[in-house]
Amino acid sequence: MSKLMRRAAAILLFLLAYSPDVIAADATDATDVNNDQESVIDVMGKVSNHDYFELPWTKVYLPRIFLSEGEWHVYKSTKSAVDSGEFEVSEAGLVRTNGAEITLDMSISSHLIYVWMGLLLTFIITFLVGNRYKSGVGRTTEPKGILQNMFEVLFVFIRDDIAKEFIPHNKYEKFVPYLFTIFMAITFMNLFGLLPWAAAATANLTVTATLAMITFVLTQVNASKDHWRHVFVFPGVPAWTRIILTPVEVLGLFTKPFSLAIRLFANMLSGKIMIVCILGLIFVFTDLFGAYVGVGSGVFWVLLTTALYFLKVLVALIQAYVFTLLSAVFIGMAAEEHHHEHDETSVAHAQNVQT
Amino acid sequence: MGFLAAGLGAGIIAIGAGIGIGMIGKGATESIARQPEAAGDIRGAMLLTAVFIEGVALIGAIVCIILALGIGQ
Repeated sequence: MSKLMRRAAAILLFLLAYSPDVIAADATDATDVNNDQESVIDVMGKVSNHDYFELPWTKVYLPRIFLSEGEWHVYKSTKSAVDSGEFEVSEAGLVRTNGAEITLDMSISSHLIYVWMGLLLTFIITFLVGNRYKSGVGRTTEPKGILQNMFEVLFVFIRDDIAKEFIPHNKYEKFVPYLFTIFMAITFMNLFGLLPWAAAATANLTVTATLAMITFVLTQVNASKDHWRHVFVFPGVPAWTRIILTPVEVLGLFTKPFSLAIRLFANMLSGKIMIVCILGLIFVFTDLFGAYVGVGSGVFWVLLTTALYFLKVLVALIQAYVFTLLSAVFIGMAAEEHHHEHDETSVAHAQNVQT
Repeated sequence: MGFLAAGLGAGIIAIGAGIGIGMIGKGATESIARQPEAAGDIRGAMLLTAVFIEGVALIGAIVCIILALGIGQ
């Protein structure tokens, strides 16, 4: 079990490391100067991807790695890339000075670091507790300590309430490690977004799209024959309706991971934007009515933000749960095998039962 | 024009999602009141359905954000 889990984590890491857009960092630092007059606070800058990793006391600039004209260019930071004369800052990020195309941008960016941190935490916790189970604690005796108890509650929850309920009974065990990994990883990534200086990696569409893509691939690989029959053949309907139904069903295959990605992305993005905007009202009020009104109303906005933070903790957990739940539902729907025959009589029978 | 479209769109999304989730909540509370022992199952089904509506509403919200920021113009 823990071997499978480790493999799932490794695949996640691999896929995220190799999706180029996650890593396509922007050069916000250079453009910030020009935007100063338009807005007091940079709302999108708080949630977008950067070429530096922000800590409460400092900024750590991250390496930039490019593949251009078949050559690898590796720099310590954006600044050293510009200083070398090979690259220059433009509106679309870094470009080559000689106009050559950048084939692959493999730079490490802040969101990628948070993805790694989320996966690393998941890995460490499962590894630690897995070793405990191996040594017998929890199998022959009761689980010991806060960590193992919490782990067991979560794991049993994922296994019994999500996997067992939505995936057919003879197959569900195979998917429990994946579902658990994805639940833990998304929870950690979401919760990192609660730190004032940090950003949620799941507020980046590329991260959520990669996660949804893994679910999509798993769904299609494990789909039963009946699943494909229902996509292309449609037993029990007049032949000409297939012209309409088949495109709709094929489209339906792709809308599922799409909505999965958009849902997580939009939820995490909107939470952070809302908090920044509400805190920003202090400065808007100061601009409009003077410092006293700004400070006075600030008490109210800070209280509102505190309430929103509690909501955000809830949302972070619920969205991780929802992503896992829907992954299980989609996998279960595809893996299901229909034992009854789909002919005219069974359709008529089903209609009789409904009425 | 983009702002107008985004504002109107967000309002219509809110109406639609509000009606949808309201109906789910109504159905769930009514069925829990009728059959309190099935509360756990009903809550799960309620969450699942609400999530589907939320997904559609959020896709609309993303379109509104794109309109308001003028991306793609």
